[in-house]
Amino acid sequence: MSAALSSEVTADLRTIVGDQWVITDPVRLLAYESDGLTAYRRPPGAVVLPADTDEVSQVMARLAHAEVPVVPRGAGTGLSGGALAGSDAVILATPRMNRIVHVDPENRLALLQPGVINADLTEAARPHGLYYAPDPSSQSACTIGGNVAENAGGPHCLKYGVTSRYVTGLTVVLYDGEVLRLGGLGRDSAGYDLTGVFIGSEGCFGIATEIEVRLLPIPQATRTLLAMFDRLEDAGEAVSAIVARGLLPAALEIIDRETIQAVEASIFAAGYPVDVEAALVIEFDGIEAGLDFEAEEAEGCCWEKGAREVRRARSERERLGLWKGRKNAFGAFGRVAPDLLVQDATVPRTRLPEVLRAISEIGHRYGLRLANVFHAGDGNLHPNILFDRTDEDELARVEQASREIMAVCVAAGGTITGEHGVGLDKRGYMRLVHSRDVLEVMRATKKAFDPWGGMNPGKVLP
Amino acid sequence: MNALAAALSRRLPEGQVVEGFRAEQWAVCDRVPQAVVFPESESEVAEVMRLATQEGWTVVPAGKGTWLHGGQPPGAVDVVLSTMRMDRITLYEPGDLTVTAEGGIGLDLLAHRCGEHGQWLPLDPPGPRKGTLAATVSTASFGPLAYHHGLPKDHVLGVSLVTGDGRVLELGGRVVKNVAGFDVLKLTIGSWGTLGVLTSITTRLHPQPPADRTVLFRGEAGELVALARAIATAPAPLAALEMLLPGERERSGGTVPLLAVRILEASEATDEICRIVTDTAGASAFRQMDGRASAELFRNVEALESGAELVVRLRLLPSQLETVRKHADTLRELADPDEGWGTRLAAHVQCGVLRVIISRMARGEGWIDRAAEVIERVRGGLEAEGGSLTLSQGPSGLVSAVGAWGDAGSAVPLMKALKREFDPAGVLSPGRFSFL
Repeated sequence: MSAALSSEVTADLRTIVGDQWVITDPVRLLAYESDGLTAYRRPPGAVVLPADTDEVSQVMARLAHAEVPVVPRGAGTGLSGGALAGSDAVILATPRMNRIVHVDPENRLALLQPGVINADLTEAARPHGLYYAPDPSSQSACTIGGNVAENAGGPHCLKYGVTSRYVTGLTVVLYDGEVLRLGGLGRDSAGYDLTGVFIGSEGCFGIATEIEVRLLPIPQATRTLLAMFDRLEDAGEAVSAIVARGLLPAALEIIDRETIQAVEASIFAAGYPVDVEAALVIEFDGIEAGLDFEAEEAEGCCWEKGAREVRRARSERERLGLWKGRKNAFGAFGRVAPDLLVQDATVPRTRLPEVLRAISEIGHRYGLRLANVFHAGDGNLHPNILFDRTDEDELARVEQASREIMAVCVAAGGTITGEHGVGLDKRGYMRLVHSRDVLEVMRATKKAFDPWGGMNPGKVLP
Repeated sequence: MNALAAALSRRLPEGQVVEGFRAEQWAVCDRVPQAVVFPESESEVAEVMRLATQEGWTVVPAGKGTWLHGGQPPGAVDVVLSTMRMDRITLYEPGDLTVTAEGGIGLDLLAHRCGEHGQWLPLDPPGPRKGTLAATVSTASFGPLAYHHGLPKDHVLGVSLVTGDGRVLELGGRVVKNVAGFDVLKLTIGSWGTLGVLTSITTRLHPQPPADRTVLFRGEAGELVALARAIATAPAPLAALEMLLPGERERSGGTVPLLAVRILEASEATDEICRIVTDTAGASAFRQMDGRASAELFRNVEALESGAELVVRLRLLPSQLETVRKHADTLRELADPDEGWGTRLAAHVQCGVLRVIISRMARGEGWIDRAAEVIERVRGGLEAEGGSLTLSQGPSGLVSAVGAWGDAGSAVPLMKALKREFDPAGVLSPGRFSFL
């Protein structure tokens, strides 16, 4: 692939999408120099903002002809550097493709363009008594197109599953501009599940320009509990006890002492006691009848495992209050340290206590501040490392500690990323989890979609 | 012993290869294999596949042989590779709500072992329960529970797959959230044995529901469709919504058309959902079944296709159920009016899937051509509306003529490239996807 982003190419792009929708001004390009993982920064050669499938197809065909790489980008909230492009590449961003084509309550489906913001979809579905289930923490900013690229999760995956469960069909544009229609709820597709393999392909296969998703009826009621523990392990054991009792909460989230202290010292203070070691958020949803019983059972599990205090929300306002600390954790870290590395890994749920101990030991050994926020029900950990990137020695320790944390998670039967993706950041860890043969098959799968190698090059594969 | 069976026998431990008349019951859509092999480990499966690729023998993976007559007939079948002797649970930690088992485990055995810990895998594909996990995953088969509880792709977390040339690929993992690299695992689910042999599968499990209730409504087909649509959009979690229209001869024997609404929740919630359903229906239920009786009814739904000669799946959006039913009625003329039950219709209402289950096809001169013409006309009508028609099973002459699958669209070259990667010599189930 040559590095040939000539003015001739950008002029053609302007003809396709309109003059104002191609950005080449170096100052404006700075807005695209990184995604949510700010440790990596590099501005792209240009940014193009097409309006629909047809424009995307024309843009891609033109760039393919000139052999210019394309990097798709939604809202840029990704946490693995997946939306980074070099000066030889063009970012294809989707903010103009933000139309909900229709919400179909009869079939509990919605058809939308990729730039629709996750929370806006749920807002549009609400008048029909429906909502979109996957709810990543960034849902008020992130786009459904980005969610498809990353196979995004969120706190409610324990009961409801991740993005791949809700995407039923896609219109996809490949690098050469070819438009493929994949899946669709109203038919049995012949052959391989290309919709399935496209989801989570991190912009390396093509770009989804229309997305069909399933919607769910809004649960009749919820019950939310917040339990405080003097030992992190006890919180973990309470989670195991809840699961062992056959309960299936919609969410089971833990935040640790370091996180609670950061939250309580910030503008997001949620009234969590600052001297506890862990707070566990438990939420049940569904039919009103019987929810109190489930909540009581879960509360019983918490007392049994040594909870110091259990709070139960009695109103929607109180519910949001209990969630406040969890939801604002990432924002609160900004006050505590200049930089934050949000790590992401998954382990089998029963291995959580030992993995948490190992991670804590790694943090101590490298002299790093670690704060844990995690989806305990899924075994999806987010050990957050607080650091200062201008301190080179500390930066080196962050990298070493990250690698060790990944190795610990993999050794426990887990994996290197549960929901943030590999992107640029975790390519180096891919060999920890995949054999050479599997990596080769992944490479071949990418090649089947993108034989030219023009889609988001240098990402995911080591 | 034929040369092929002899060559396999030299590579495998004694007792793992059969041929001759004992291979006849393993015929795949009427094609009798030269040998059937029963490997007991992944490395033995890999050995068979390496040899097959080297010798150019075609191999059709199988479990217990439950669905061998289904789908598109393969072009050639030298070897049937059954994983039925690989039926162990290899890792089960109930606290993780996941289980890893060898591919040849029966769904019944898996359900029994998980049931001991109050857990289950909510998969209810058509056919007998002894059918294997690998066959279910490989054909992506699903039943009434799929809309609410998920498709095979939503349950499977990881697999071990032996490719056409004997590579062992560990795809996915054993954790419930995993985005480490491209989701190649998804390609294998529903690949009909064309990409590899599934030797091990890790799936999610769920806590067993505390209560099982089915509410039955009766009426004529048209009324039931309207009722089904109303209930499908009610704001309540329904485990299944199945419309069951008996065959003509069952009808005359007194069996009535039914709409079965299944609820699998805690008992208090079950009562409440029941109330929502009857309020929405605006009619009182004809019958209510709890516990074992409810489960038994849905066992019978799983068995609806047993003994059928032709099973056709029609699909459109759920809201178009009445249109699908009209297309289905066109297919009734394919049934022999004097033999068996006639034509049963069974719909997964929430998915928009309607199965046409014909006991015995009407014969007579040129019957295959006539049937092909009718099926193609219905397929054309459904595809024009964005839907599909697939043949789940039928006489192999007919299925070959019409094709089990409909239009595969413009992604065929891409699929061909994927197939080549997994099976470079093209020995695995050639022709199962006729467009590849």
